Amino acid sequence: MALQILQTLVLLFLGIAVDVKGRISWNDVCREYSELGRSRAVLDDEKFSGGILKDGTFIIPNVPSGTYLLSVISHDYLFDQLRIDVTESEETPTVEARPYIPGTPMNPPSTVLLTYPLKLSARQKFDYFVPRESFNIMGMLKSPMILMMIFAGGMVLGMPYLMKNMGPESLEELRKEQAKMSHAQSALQNGDFRSGMSALMEAVSGQDQPSSQPSPQAPRTQPATKSRGKGKRR
Amino acid sequence: MRLHAIPVSLLTLWVTCSVALHESDAGVVDWHKRLIGVPNTESRHTSPVFHRAVEQKSKQSIVLTATRSNVMAAVDPLDGSVLWRYVYEPEDNIVTFQQQGSVVASLSGTGGATLRTFNMLSGEPLIEKRLHEPETGLLIQPNNLGTFIAFGNKSHEIYTLTNGRIVNCFHNGEILWTWRAQDHSSQILYSTIQTTDDAVYVVGLASSFASYVLHVVALSPLTGEVLASASVPSTISNGLDEFLVLSDMVVWIEKSSIKSFALSPSLSGRSRTLPAASYEKLVNIGLGSHGMFIAVGTNGFGQLIACEDGNLVTSKNFERPSTPESFYAGGLDMHRNPYVSHVHVSTTTKFTAVEIFSPHLQGLLAEYILPWDMNTHGTITYVAMDVVNSDPDIILGRLLLTTSTGSVQIWQRESHLWTREEGLAELNAAKFVELPERVSGLTGEGRSEEGFVGRLVRQIKDVKDLPSYLVRFSKRFATGSYESATSSASVLPSPSVPQLPFRDAFGFRQVLVASTTYGKVYGIDTSNGDILWNRVLGVGSKAHERGAKVTPIPDKLFVTKTVGDVDGDTLKAGPEIVLLAKITSEESASEDILLFHLNALTGQDAVKVLAVDGPLEGLFVTSRPIQNVYMLQSDEIKVIVLLDSDLKVYLYPDDTVSKNMFAKAATTLTVPLTQVSQEGQRKLIGHQFGSKSYTEDEMEHSAFPTWTLSLPDGQDVQSLITPIRDPVASIGKVLGNRTTLYKYLNPHMVLVLTAPHSSSALNPNAHCGLYLLDSVKGSIVYQVALPIGRKTCNVKAAFTENWLVYHYYDDEHQGPGQTKGYKMVTVELYEGKEVDDKTRSSEISSYSDKMLDLTAYEQSFVYPHAISAIALTSTKFGITSKDIIVANVNGKIQSFSRRLVNPRRPVGRKPNSEETEEFLVQYDPLLPDDSRKVFSHNYDVAHARFITTSPALLESTSLVFVYGLDLFLSRVAPSNTFDVLNESFNKVQLVLTVIGLLGAIFVTRPMVTRKKLREKWYQ
Repeated sequence: MALQILQTLVLLFLGIAVDVKGRISWNDVCREYSELGRSRAVLDDEKFSGGILKDGTFIIPNVPSGTYLLSVISHDYLFDQLRIDVTESEETPTVEARPYIPGTPMNPPSTVLLTYPLKLSARQKFDYFVPRESFNIMGMLKSPMILMMIFAGGMVLGMPYLMKNMGPESLEELRKEQAKMSHAQSALQNGDFRSGMSALMEAVSGQDQPSSQPSPQAPRTQPATKSRGKGKRR
Repeated sequence: MRLHAIPVSLLTLWVTCSVALHESDAGVVDWHKRLIGVPNTESRHTSPVFHRAVEQKSKQSIVLTATRSNVMAAVDPLDGSVLWRYVYEPEDNIVTFQQQGSVVASLSGTGGATLRTFNMLSGEPLIEKRLHEPETGLLIQPNNLGTFIAFGNKSHEIYTLTNGRIVNCFHNGEILWTWRAQDHSSQILYSTIQTTDDAVYVVGLASSFASYVLHVVALSPLTGEVLASASVPSTISNGLDEFLVLSDMVVWIEKSSIKSFALSPSLSGRSRTLPAASYEKLVNIGLGSHGMFIAVGTNGFGQLIACEDGNLVTSKNFERPSTPESFYAGGLDMHRNPYVSHVHVSTTTKFTAVEIFSPHLQGLLAEYILPWDMNTHGTITYVAMDVVNSDPDIILGRLLLTTSTGSVQIWQRESHLWTREEGLAELNAAKFVELPERVSGLTGEGRSEEGFVGRLVRQIKDVKDLPSYLVRFSKRFATGSYESATSSASVLPSPSVPQLPFRDAFGFRQVLVASTTYGKVYGIDTSNGDILWNRVLGVGSKAHERGAKVTPIPDKLFVTKTVGDVDGDTLKAGPEIVLLAKITSEESASEDILLFHLNALTGQDAVKVLAVDGPLEGLFVTSRPIQNVYMLQSDEIKVIVLLDSDLKVYLYPDDTVSKNMFAKAATTLTVPLTQVSQEGQRKLIGHQFGSKSYTEDEMEHSAFPTWTLSLPDGQDVQSLITPIRDPVASIGKVLGNRTTLYKYLNPHMVLVLTAPHSSSALNPNAHCGLYLLDSVKGSIVYQVALPIGRKTCNVKAAFTENWLVYHYYDDEHQGPGQTKGYKMVTVELYEGKEVDDKTRSSEISSYSDKMLDLTAYEQSFVYPHAISAIALTSTKFGITSKDIIVANVNGKIQSFSRRLVNPRRPVGRKPNSEETEEFLVQYDPLLPDDSRKVFSHNYDVAHARFITTSPALLESTSLVFVYGLDLFLSRVAPSNTFDVLNESFNKVQLVLTVIGLLGAIFVTRPMVTRKKLREKWYQ
């Protein structure tokens, strides 16, 4: 009660308090009151508040001079917050509105002045749900695991024919590579990591180098290319 | 900074998005009860009324009411659904409302500070106008006094009377004129407006010696000029109840006779007296526009009195006498013909009789007995009537009843149309109780006696079902779905056998036992929100006293026996609860404390087997006010410990087992209690228990003070929050660099919120306080001073294990970098000064000097909304991370991942590799307001006051129940449902893959054998 009296006194001393007026302008996000539902425009921690009417207007009555943060309490829509400065000039108190980004310092105020009476519009309708992942056969086929499986299956089936069509030299080469790889694998499986790794590296480098240096007149024999590459580096 | 913030917030968004609701789960995993509150029947002008919007030209009427929860609502009288509701702010209480045509107008706040009008059918607000500052409002009791709304007869003007002396005339939302009563000296308090085409009459009472005198002012409807002002020579002894304003007449009781004064613009009439018997009181039945009212004679019988051509005529004598439990109500049919009903409750025979009379159809009278159940609904508190005659000869009355247990019902003649349990809008305690497993009704019992032959015969008989079973099995195997964490928990009741409730696979189905301030206890099914049982609490020995009222003590509801404690047949012994209630009456100042012990599955008394129907009988504990109630729990038994204002201890059950247990535990128990000191300061004082023994067996325990929390001058203890004691899964946190922070797990911690005393609230240094205390010694573990918000301290806090979260409003914005806004602060307490320090805080004594050796890590975040409640999720073993659940003021229930409010988020730099290993993200001052974490989605959960959480059988999932005006229940899985098969798990895909692989083997096997064979040939 004492507090109430004091507030009244404060109101009296500060002179004329002002009504902060504004309007929600309907836009594509929120078209009319029935979509918006019960909403309020409040200053600070609901120190002063006004309900939003059917036509979108609101009045926050009797606001004394000071700096406030205006926010719209609405269930489904996001509105911008505004910084409101009610200043007391000689006769008529003025209301200034500025944009405000939540989480940023209040001072210094933004240099942009917004029009008064305030005009606010819904920024965004809240989306509460995530869509459910639905099952479709194409999506399943597109997944990398399935693609790899299909590829592997194709290789199993197609390999014999491929090998048949290969020349004897390249066949020999392939055998060697395979032997190296299997050696590396068996070494790794046996727990001999060092030799396994080195074998693997060797196998990989042996495979990689020729492909990394593609030359138009690529000779078929690999060892020759290898030694030439090394020689060049020296 | 902002550039950095964007990817971080994106990351957090991604992190938090992972758990969100699917649209198809809404309404399956959760439920929401949209309530309006118990109709406020203290005044006629806030009580429920039936109204037909004339423009609609239909028979259909709607029920309008203002409620004690401060809601203006329209309800469909046919099915009881809420057509619309408008929730007012708590300090802006509705004092009166009035309806005409398609408009409802209300005045709210002290003295009627704000006028609002609504569209009757849609509830859309049309006007909101502040008439005076609430601070300058007239403070009188009852608070609706001196406020009135009247509509112009044909025009669309609205006239309001506020503060008992100001009349405003509105047209299209703008004030046309204002009239203020000039004379302060004569103390006239105006209370009613009556409008006619010629004048607006303002009627009030002027106080004179020992009585009141009627005063009438006639105003011009166009300009508000005073046409005439007159004091009607009258002596009214008792104030407002003794005069009525009819359409063109003021009627009052003077010395047991009814007098009237005709209203005319010149106020030149004379008062007349009704020449008849003596009367006791006048009853307004809402037919003032038809010039009708009820006068109750000194002989106890009611009379309908009508005004005909300026004369009062006695039109009907009611047959049954008027008692304090009888109600008169007036109603109109679709042709606006008046009807009057009298609901008479006989105190002796418990019958509820209804008489309906229609003045325009002389002699026609409907009379019937209402099959009204007193045991489940208490007594009637208000009656409103509507008449839905389809045939002019048959009076079809529709009665709306409000009851002392907080329900609203509509009866069409003898048939019950619907009941809304609006008492649920004022829950003051709620507890989850786990349900037992299903008792299969068919198996069991008969089987044990069945011999070998019998069994063989039965099983052979059952074989005929085998093929269909196999088909079903294979179908289920291939495509069937499994119970997931988001499947519905509700179980269809078997129609044949009435069964006790049982749980679902994951324990999402529990019973929520809740008590209301109206003295009723409900058992609510958590799977769908249905009421399983409800019981009225008895008033015990005060039953014969006038105005006896039972009020459960807030939050003193204990589960004394859980499913785990129950063995054997659940029919006989289900989980049990104990609840404490305070009985007050108008006759005596003392209050009784009663203890109710009931079965949570059925709502039956757990101790005595009594008649099922009557109100529950409580066990008398004490007639002294109680200080606090606790539940003491040992391995086997649970004992309720009550402390009265003299610090004497009462035990329930009061047997030797519990006495021994308490005596054993008493030396180690400490309780902090709030007490009001002689200077009026609310202090926190720690207590321990001592005992006095009179004889060998008789021991009397009582508490004695040991410490006092020293608060700064003028600080009061606002509330005491005992932390949730959930199982602690780990005692430390291993950091990225393989060091450990040991949690500060002092088991005696309590959270105390303080607020400045009302006398020192004006002090510029006044602040709110938050303390974490060791309740054994009273030492302060953590404290912080917070700024005062709007008027009072509105700090919301939750504490568990070593983690404290609080939310407050920070008004300070002048300093550099500061901003106004709500802040959410998270504090984690760890043992010692640095990592790897270990003090064993959960085990050592509170008196050890190591007890206060701790480090608090804290961080503050800007939170975009005000909140009305905060809680933390709780799970069965405490392994799952905890989410913060908050109820926002915009009617949303939202969760926050603990990861976002980790106080160790690196500030101003990117997290290094060790911190990324701990999933720490860079500090961003703004907590993201992710709408996908709003698990109350489209529901508008209005005025949530409390949040309680309960573990389910699934470790990953926690049940969240929110109550306030509305009830809302949902499931939350803070770390995803890791312990059940993911619902996006695709069984069809698995089956298809397996089939595909089988097919591949089928195809390749002959190829491989052929190849091998060929290899053998050609090698």
